[in-house]
Amino acid sequence: MGNRSGVSPKALIIAAALIAAPGWLVAQTNSPSAAANKAAKPEAKKAWVLPHTPDGQPDLQGYWTSLSFTPMERPAKYGNREFLTEEEATQIYKEGIQHSYEFTFNDRAETPVYDATVYALSAWQEGVAPNRRTSLVVDPPDGKIPALTPEAAKVREAMRKHGPNQDYADPNAPVKADTAEDLNLGERCISFGGPPILPGAYNSNFHIVQGAGFVTIEYEWNNEMRIIPLDGRAPLSSNIHRWHGDSRGHWEGNTLVVETTNFRPGATFQGANPKTLKITEYFTRADQNTIEYKFTISDPSTWTRPWSAIVPLSHMNGPIPEYDCSENNNDAVNILAGARATEKAAAEKAKKISQIN
Amino acid sequence: MKVTPLLLFLFACAPMVVSAQTAAQRRPVNAAAAASKISTPGEFPPYKPPLTADGKPDFNGIWQAFVTADIDIQDHDAQAGPHPDIMGAYGAWPGGQGIVEGGEIPYKPEALAKKKENAEKRMVVNITSDDRRHETGDPELKCYRPGIPRANYMPFPFQIIQSTDNIMMVYEFEHALRTVYMKNDDKEAPKDAPADSWMGWSHGHFEGDTLVIDTTGFVPWTWFDRAGDYHSDALHVVERYTLVSPYHIMYEATIEDPNVFTHPWKISFPLYRRMEKNIQLLDFDCVEFVEKLLYGPYYKDPSK
Repeated sequence: MGNRSGVSPKALIIAAALIAAPGWLVAQTNSPSAAANKAAKPEAKKAWVLPHTPDGQPDLQGYWTSLSFTPMERPAKYGNREFLTEEEATQIYKEGIQHSYEFTFNDRAETPVYDATVYALSAWQEGVAPNRRTSLVVDPPDGKIPALTPEAAKVREAMRKHGPNQDYADPNAPVKADTAEDLNLGERCISFGGPPILPGAYNSNFHIVQGAGFVTIEYEWNNEMRIIPLDGRAPLSSNIHRWHGDSRGHWEGNTLVVETTNFRPGATFQGANPKTLKITEYFTRADQNTIEYKFTISDPSTWTRPWSAIVPLSHMNGPIPEYDCSENNNDAVNILAGARATEKAAAEKAKKISQIN
Repeated sequence: MKVTPLLLFLFACAPMVVSAQTAAQRRPVNAAAAASKISTPGEFPPYKPPLTADGKPDFNGIWQAFVTADIDIQDHDAQAGPHPDIMGAYGAWPGGQGIVEGGEIPYKPEALAKKKENAEKRMVVNITSDDRRHETGDPELKCYRPGIPRANYMPFPFQIIQSTDNIMMVYEFEHALRTVYMKNDDKEAPKDAPADSWMGWSHGHFEGDTLVIDTTGFVPWTWFDRAGDYHSDALHVVERYTLVSPYHIMYEATIEDPNVFTHPWKISFPLYRRMEKNIQLLDFDCVEFVEKLLYGPYYKDPSK
């Protein structure tokens, strides 16, 4: 998992959610044609004028996907190259589409675990557009997430030895499922993470709505909702912790800047320290079909320096239907019941052996 | 009422008291008395709501009902909650007057029996990995999305974020979410629900200053209250939201379900604007509070 470190923790959550979540089945009904059309017509960009809401804000509203075939960290083969050639970008885009047809979580080529077509999904997810960047990480300039602080490295190593509920757990470790609290937050239908907005393997879809004084971002996963006030109010007390942190927004020119703190312990991006983590997001409408979305992660107790990534958000067609999750969480039942069945079988086997002896 | 010299004195110099007396005596209302009628429950003076930038009545804000309908939407006495031996007054439920017009829900006879069974088994939770999990137990107890109209009168706030094409209603209870589609669009907001859902499939429009929301496409598993009042997947709810003051919405809903009720019925109650400085929704993602209740039978026995 190490070679795709930006995707792997997310992938674990997604792997779990795939088994768990009945809501996602109805959520994949969009046709790929819109994205194909827009990729073929770049000239439409010239005539585009930034739309505004009736109360005069830059208009970010609509349905967007963060799906991307660009790795979080820059593969070694690109060295210091920040951008791909057109040909390389097209090639990766095609591979990505193929990959989403038969994607896997840990190793795309050797361990196919999931075939999208089984669930009558289209062969690739609607909306994604080619991206010429070699990595989502743009700062540091080497395209790599900076080194962990020594303390954070220790914490992560300890998490690795834990059960499957931790993002950085060893996927081959025995499954610990004594209680629901041993499952990860996605399996429990509590939180599918974020901010930041990252590309997942599927369902990386969002609905942005702007009302007077607020921007809301609905995540398709579990219909989780961020309500971002723009009225300059003070941050929440540090005694209040939220699953997606607590966000405050303001406009800098045409860019919506959102600062998020007050994270809940155990529910932070890449296991960062909830007390010191601050995520700043920058949403800029780049054209009719794209929001350039940049985020900066600052957590001096986890990383040796702040770092930033750019994830293009591409227009997709709505709507986003309800994503019921805890209401039909078969995953929690089946994982726990499976663990009990495994224990029972082991106990019976031990009993038989002791009887023979 | 006997008019005493003291009352006559109050008539002369205390308008608030005067209005209460005049209402009680059904006297003609003069201008001063009309202004003071704000204090009369159930009555609001004429009100013209502020408009959004696109010219619609502005419903943006955080709202909450203060009826006890989540316990029972019909008239009910105060009662001990579950496990009074350990919960005491923490767990007791207040009495309240119902929100159902005419007092009674017009159940079909067999449906009334089902409601009673629901109430008896409201805390019988049996979680399986299939739809049998929904056969008994109040969905609120299990932290499931409350559905409509129940979400609007649970003892939690909800926020309305109003845009031109969509109105988002975000409920603090389990971050339940409704998207109210304000435009008709075959692709992005089709008329019929693409799939049944807990919060339903909602289309809205304005009739004068009233926001009217028509919702169908429900799963058959949400309830109206802890008293077992229920519906089928044929539920059709038409809600009317009218701003009647800077701080109040009058809410009405017509509830129709020919599988369960003999005819449509109505509920109504006011919603109050939450006015605390810097009020915002927080998280009540109650899943973490119900896991042992739901999945406990599948937990490892710590004694083994």
